[in-house]
Amino acid sequence: MNVLTLIDGCYRGGVTVNENLAFDALSDRVRRRILAALGDGGELTAGQLAERVGVVSRSTVSSHLRILRTSGAVIERREGRHRYYSVDTEGSVRDAFRFLQGLLQDGVRLDSGAAAQADSPDEFHHDTG
Amino acid sequence: MTSTTLTAESVVELAAHEVYRMFGRPESGSWLFGARCESLSVGAAVRLTLPVGPDTQRYEVELLGRLSAVRPDAMVVIEHAQPWRGRLKLTFEKLGRSRTRLRVRADVSNSGLEWLVRHTGGVLSVPPVRPDAVRIGVVTSKSGPAAIYSMATEYLAELAVDEVNRDGGLDGRRLELLVVDDATDPEVAAAEARRLVRAGCRAIFACTTSSSFAAIEDVTRADDVLLVQPVMNERGTHDTASVLRLGEQPSAQIEAVARRLVQSTGGRGWYLVGEGYSWSYGAHEAARSVVPAMRGRVVGETFTPLGTSDFGPVIEKIQRSGAEIVMSSLVGSDEVEFQRQCAAAGLRSSVSRMSLVMDESTCAHIGSAAEGIWTALAYFQDGPATGAGELLTRYQDAYGRWAPPISTLSETVYEAIHQYAQAVRRDPDAGARSQRRALLQHRGGRGGTGVGARDLLVPPLYLAEVRAGALHVFDEAG
Repeated sequence: MNVLTLIDGCYRGGVTVNENLAFDALSDRVRRRILAALGDGGELTAGQLAERVGVVSRSTVSSHLRILRTSGAVIERREGRHRYYSVDTEGSVRDAFRFLQGLLQDGVRLDSGAAAQADSPDEFHHDTG
Repeated sequence: MTSTTLTAESVVELAAHEVYRMFGRPESGSWLFGARCESLSVGAAVRLTLPVGPDTQRYEVELLGRLSAVRPDAMVVIEHAQPWRGRLKLTFEKLGRSRTRLRVRADVSNSGLEWLVRHTGGVLSVPPVRPDAVRIGVVTSKSGPAAIYSMATEYLAELAVDEVNRDGGLDGRRLELLVVDDATDPEVAAAEARRLVRAGCRAIFACTTSSSFAAIEDVTRADDVLLVQPVMNERGTHDTASVLRLGEQPSAQIEAVARRLVQSTGGRGWYLVGEGYSWSYGAHEAARSVVPAMRGRVVGETFTPLGTSDFGPVIEKIQRSGAEIVMSSLVGSDEVEFQRQCAAAGLRSSVSRMSLVMDESTCAHIGSAAEGIWTALAYFQDGPATGAGELLTRYQDAYGRWAPPISTLSETVYEAIHQYAQAVRRDPDAGARSQRRALLQHRGGRGGTGVGARDLLVPPLYLAEVRAGALHVFDEAG
């Protein structure tokens, strides 16, 4: 899988944690549906997406597409008067690794609650037996 | 395993042995990945709870696996199967008397990457089915309360597909597998099942809760796709033409355990604990007809929502009811919490416990609190079924010694895929109805008891009890 090589190269050095954008993209049901439709259908216009996603208007789809583009989940291609949208695979993978990097960073960072506990190692030894 | 590696580190003002000893303990809070395990020994079940998302929408991702290497005061390695497949290696490097560099290294498999992409709102597009391939889908729970009992599902589905392909596939065509996570949520299950249909799957194996199964059934009704639920369930369907539900049935499980449990304990009063959806409703209905026939009576019943973690009020009710036998139809992490809290409340000495979903993974995650629980299931990793030992060898050869244990919930998927492949081998493009007929006929023609030839529609059951932390089969039912 070539995306792996790409990410491997980019992220070995670590990244700034910013999972909020990816989380916003995920948090909305319509956006999840748009992504699912793009995952199946390759490149689609906002009109085609509105048809597939159902229940929402074309202008709503367009505003969701703006958010998805900002977060890097979707890319736009212009051809004449038409705009085509597709999943940004590299962006998706990048977001996934950012998310994981955030989890790892949080897991090794000592929070103050745990530090207070750890300040009394004698008691702790006693607990572990 | 093709994998990608990420690392993170921090320096803490503690000695290396202090950091090491905090791993797996409640005192460490969310530090060290909120890990919980009964002992720091190789093979021990471990659960990591990782808080994610912005503060306003905080939720938790749970990693489930086993410790695969431990070097006291220096290193802990976790092989995890859920929610993505990979490995975490924690090292504690001594920098001074009370100064330690804590480093974590995560290896993520390709399928693990797919899960992470889905989870962060992305999509990796699925290529169209090639003419020389036949595609099937598996819906499993890689996250949420059902993840614990589903740990080996993806592995065993994959193993079955690999074996089918090694044997020449379906009439020369490759069998191709897509696996999706329902997050133990019916709405996600429905959406992911739609994705499998759109990706051209000819059959969907829904290894999910009955709520997810019902949601999948609803959204695939109009499609020409065979839908199989290969994991234990209460049966019943609106669509007998293209739906097939296999595995243990609660009525048979209860009947098998109840007689022996009543004989051995003399207990008469039963308390039923379950979740508020069709699986527990079906199971408790079965109990209400079986228990009186054993001269027992149901003295109380509770339904809690799936995902409950505090069973204090339920345990109080059990204690007040004077029940001598507690039957649980709780599943996954709910069952883990319930049985642990029962043991902590001292119920172990006053009641006998039976559980309908006491598979190897659930048992391992409960730990010592599972001692003495009875169950009746169709398959155990170390049970007497012909071919069980060989299956375990093939499984560990493929996925390593620390892959999650095989259980009835994953073995039936393995076997259902094998039986499906044999049944439709001649005509994999047949419609769902005729695929279902072929699968049923095939099963009727075999009727064996060994791995690969068991009757999954009415599987024979084994009685087992948890002793010294493991499930021990002590008899066959019937």
